Amino acid sequence: MVFNSYTFIAFFIVILVLHNLPLSWKTKKINLLIASYIFYAAWNPPFILLLWLSTVVDFFVGRALYTQQNKHKRRVLLIVSLIGNLGMLSFFKYGGFLLENFTHLINLLGANFHPAKPNIILPAGISFYTFTTLCYTIDMYKRRSEPVKSMLDFSLFVTFFPHLVAGPIVRPPQLVPQFETPHSATRKQLLQGLFLLSLGLFMKVVLADSMLSVVANDVFNSKQALNTLDAWMGVLAFSGQIFFDFAGYSTCAIGVAGCLGFVLPENFVYPYAAVGFSDFWRRWHITLSSWLRDYLYIPLGGNKHGRFKTYINLMITMLLGGLWHGANWTFVVWGALHGFYLWVEKIIRDLRKPKTAPEGTKNDAYVAGPVKDKTFPNFILAMITFFFINVTWVFFRAPDFVSARRMLISMFSSVKDGAVIVTTLSIYKVSVIVILMVAFHWMMRNTRVLTVAEKLPWWLLGILWSIILLLLIWSQESSSSFIYFQF
Amino acid sequence: MTSSSFAKAGILMLILVTTSVFSWELYVRSKGFDNSYDDGGPLWTHQRHKVCKDQNNSTVFIGSSRIKFDLDTKTWESLTHNHPIQLACVGSSPLSILRNLAADKNFKGNLIIDVTEVLFFNTAPNVFERTETALKYYKDETPAQKASFVLDHLLESQLVFLDKDRLSLNAQLQSLRIPNRPGVFEFPMFPPDFGRSKFNRQEYMTDNFLKDTLQQNQVKGIWAFFAKMSKEPPISGVKLDSLLNSVKVSVDKIKARGGQVIFVRTPSSGPFLMGETMGYPKEKYWNRLLLTTKCDGIHFSDYPEIAHFECPEFSHLSQQQAIVFTQNFVRILGEKGWKFSGTNQ
Repeated sequence: MVFNSYTFIAFFIVILVLHNLPLSWKTKKINLLIASYIFYAAWNPPFILLLWLSTVVDFFVGRALYTQQNKHKRRVLLIVSLIGNLGMLSFFKYGGFLLENFTHLINLLGANFHPAKPNIILPAGISFYTFTTLCYTIDMYKRRSEPVKSMLDFSLFVTFFPHLVAGPIVRPPQLVPQFETPHSATRKQLLQGLFLLSLGLFMKVVLADSMLSVVANDVFNSKQALNTLDAWMGVLAFSGQIFFDFAGYSTCAIGVAGCLGFVLPENFVYPYAAVGFSDFWRRWHITLSSWLRDYLYIPLGGNKHGRFKTYINLMITMLLGGLWHGANWTFVVWGALHGFYLWVEKIIRDLRKPKTAPEGTKNDAYVAGPVKDKTFPNFILAMITFFFINVTWVFFRAPDFVSARRMLISMFSSVKDGAVIVTTLSIYKVSVIVILMVAFHWMMRNTRVLTVAEKLPWWLLGILWSIILLLLIWSQESSSSFIYFQF
Repeated sequence: MTSSSFAKAGILMLILVTTSVFSWELYVRSKGFDNSYDDGGPLWTHQRHKVCKDQNNSTVFIGSSRIKFDLDTKTWESLTHNHPIQLACVGSSPLSILRNLAADKNFKGNLIIDVTEVLFFNTAPNVFERTETALKYYKDETPAQKASFVLDHLLESQLVFLDKDRLSLNAQLQSLRIPNRPGVFEFPMFPPDFGRSKFNRQEYMTDNFLKDTLQQNQVKGIWAFFAKMSKEPPISGVKLDSLLNSVKVSVDKIKARGGQVIFVRTPSSGPFLMGETMGYPKEKYWNRLLLTTKCDGIHFSDYPEIAHFECPEFSHLSQQQAIVFTQNFVRILGEKGWKFSGTNQ
């Protein structure tokens, strides 16, 4: 079920009513769990079995990991969990990709091997709930937190429908304690949640789907070299589309959870106002980047083993982060580009840092300190960052390297007789939306939307909210999937 | 902001949204708009689900826009007591849907295939886009999409402004007709009153369109634009043989299961008909189709009672004409021994 559908609205109304009935907390949690399974089964009912398997295995393995004293047994248990979670992810998400690459390799070595293409359906949100359960077992292994006492709470933590299919990726301490005591939304929380839900839907339906997706699709699906303006319009349109689509989902998820009285971690903080790439990763898909930092970069050694190892760790993290997004080498290159940008940024930072400063105390290669000043030089730096981020989106969106190369050539050189495909109306749409988006990000970079909403006079907030909803109704976009579902 | 201020903002929002939506609905009704359904994958899939349900009392129609305009479903149903299932798609070749029906072992009912030569005898990818999208939706439809369809239908049947092709934000922006840079391909825009889609997927021209020769000329201009655009000559030789054979394979499968299949060429007129007759001579295309597939066919030009229509925009019948066409079509089918019910008893 997608948030942008009438089915979800009907479903959510029922859940809200049930959640506010005078029932016991346990009954309410069971309601939420059943609702979450219905939410997931609405895509493909058999895949619920995978979710159950992942939940049951990790609940018991997690508990055993925490209580078991024998080092070897603990290690075996961790391996069982890793194989279970990553094995499932590898099969469903990377099965075809691995086979394709294996076939290429074998054929390069002279064999004549042409297996049938596997027809594997990717279960919605598998990358997200795998990371959710994985962090639990790793935390149990490291004894970072207490095991979840109740199977019901653990199941709800894994399956809670607002975050289930496209995040934010939650950690047990962020959500499990909220299930332990009765939670229901105050009137203010409910209204704020509904406001965020409206805003998230507006971002997804009006801006991503209705205004930007057609241009991005036309440009990236074009089989011919394009005029420079057209190529840039396509890239900028995708830049906006991917943000509004994914941040829209996260905003909806936070709003929906808020309506029920729960708090989910924020996932996007105006990333196109980032000054530098470490700042970007502190603002874009925050729950994934912090997951990668805590469960990959730091266990690899972080920046504790010298400068060279730090660079290698950084690159490994970004390459795997790229691969997490999709089973295609283009995503790996996308990650590599980000890794390279972070390298360059670190080199510059290291050169500017006083030599006496202690090194390697805060794992600051991956996430540097925040840049808060809204000065003009910082704005210029933010625009330079935005420019380089746009270059990476080419690899993220292009279906293959041939298309990516064609796009880059079209963007950075004057292609003779490059195709002209973007209509004037689309140029206006993309330009206005992208300029407003970047300006809005810059203005809001040190604050939050609810903070600003609370400062507005009630009548102005009411008018703005109405405009958002009217545009949502007027756009009449059908319930298309969110881009990140495929990840 | 306190909780009550947020509540005040919420109440103001509710008042503004309700008032605006209600006013917009009244406005578009006053402008002559009436309910038109989004003729996309979900509506097509809804019809496709009916195909194998009551095959003794239903007939499946596949083809292009002509059969959607020219078959008056109400007339068909009242004369035959047989339920029409409209699976034709505008601007499309019916061949992928024919293959899909042939591959469906449960389908052994009545099938009427509309032949618009320029689309039927065509292998260009664009004439399969719509049907492939519809088939993909049918195959991949999720339980959530099924539920959404029910709710969408409920709203679309009550609210006229829910008309994506004409009244959505994007459609309204398109209607500004901002001039493009030289070289940009502009897909021509059909006038707003040309076609409306019923829930059973029948298309019809509005009264406004029939009164307005300017809009009719606009559509005629669009046909001329398409004719100019198609630079490839009509298929012939091996390509045509292969296409005809693939049709035969599918038709044979359906007939072998006890199904009835017939082809129909619905009316067109004026320069459009002239162009079609020149590009796709009857002997070379229509006759060969019937000969290869060993199926019966009804070509409008062979029956004086349906050969006289002057289509308002050269290619489709008005709703009034569709009623007359359907009455005669049913009669001709009967004369040809077509069984309207009980084929598979």
